Amino acid sequence: MPDVILKNLPFLLHGLWLTVELSVWSIVLGTLLGLLVGTIRFVRVPVLNVLAAIYVEIIRGTPLLVVLFITYFALPALFGYRTTAYRAAIFGFVLFIAAYLAEDFRAGLRAVRPTLIQAGLATGLTRWQVLRHIILPQAVRRVLPSLFNQYVRLIKFTSVASVIGVTELTGAGLLINARDFHPVTILATIAIVYLVVCSALSLAGRALYAQFGVRT
Amino acid sequence: MTDQPIIAIRDLHKNYGTTPVLRGCSLSIARGEVVVVCGPSGSGKSTLIKCINGLEGYQSGSILVDGIEVGAKGTDLPKLRARVGMVFQHFELYPHMSVLQNIALAQVHVLKRTRTAALERARELLSRVGLSDKADAMPADLSGGQQQRVAIARALALDPQAILFDEPTSALDPEMIHEVLQVMTELASSGMTMVVVTHEMGFARSVADRVVFMDAGEIVEDASSDVFFSAPRTQRAAEFLSKILAH
Repeated sequence: MPDVILKNLPFLLHGLWLTVELSVWSIVLGTLLGLLVGTIRFVRVPVLNVLAAIYVEIIRGTPLLVVLFITYFALPALFGYRTTAYRAAIFGFVLFIAAYLAEDFRAGLRAVRPTLIQAGLATGLTRWQVLRHIILPQAVRRVLPSLFNQYVRLIKFTSVASVIGVTELTGAGLLINARDFHPVTILATIAIVYLVVCSALSLAGRALYAQFGVRT
Repeated sequence: MTDQPIIAIRDLHKNYGTTPVLRGCSLSIARGEVVVVCGPSGSGKSTLIKCINGLEGYQSGSILVDGIEVGAKGTDLPKLRARVGMVFQHFELYPHMSVLQNIALAQVHVLKRTRTAALERARELLSRVGLSDKADAMPADLSGGQQQRVAIARALALDPQAILFDEPTSALDPEMIHEVLQVMTELASSGMTMVVVTHEMGFARSVADRVVFMDAGEIVEDASSDVFFSAPRTQRAAEFLSKILAH
């Protein structure tokens, strides 16, 4: 291992740990929010449906960096609360990824055959029970590949948090480079670490889909 | 109370937009009766039976199921549907659940049976339709005929007072039609009230008490199956029979 990496290993590992933390929180909370928003749009809950649609459109038309600036600078100023770069980053990632996940979930929900819904209703299940036990489980299983695709994208997106001062993997690498100046070694190392993490998640996604994917 | 018809349809009208689908259908079905509904495609057969359990709405007329008006505002449709089972053309098993779970789901959530009781009942019904060995299979691993038998077991699991069949054999290969009809025949002889939309005239002739012939949204003929097959009253029914029995 190159000296510059070996010397800074604890700092880099801490950066990697932060990247993992940011990713896990954003994926978990983003998935819950995305599922909620996607379901609201699928069911067409009055009022909320419109709000959900506006939210999705706004986020999808805004660069991630701008979203982070909003959650770090604009919202705290607007509503008068204090935040940290770490929390603002998670907040921003959750808002960002949930909009995309919501669309994936909605596509999955809409892919469930209407006659299958009728079959559930015909057994006396309520609309809510049909949604909960028949439509949602199928939709989630069906969109697993898209979800993991978004998760992999998100892991790489977390590097943007370095701009607002979170020393996650990329931020840590940039700091080391500023001091020791070995751009090729440092950036190549970082790239390889992202590749490994993303590939692992991608494989996990495939295994999950092989296990739980719906066969028809 | 028991001589009151389980299903009573009076002057039912339904349109899709400006296209009329049902034009004044009246039909009464007694407990224990097996009624076959036949007629050309687009004649409104499927729509008619989907109106009975409220899967389709209607514009005017009335449907009483066990004395309850299906289309009335205050009607508890889920409760009513639990008493009238339905079997679909394309089986519609829940693809993410095992055969046993398919049959148990509504028992647990609609009838509030315990999970154990529901699974026990599911196994019982599976053996009744001859699929005891498929309890843990997923729907995708079953043949069409097997899937349809599971669907029948799923309908039976709610102990319904009647079962509606919407072309239950139309999506099946010829060799599988027989196994499904056999289950349905046994069901009929056990006294279940059945309304069956089908083109299986052999089944209609040998199992049905009555045959209802529909054309262009109207019930053109409603006769005992003996009379329907030997001496149809109307020209349209006679033409339909000659076409469908020709091969």
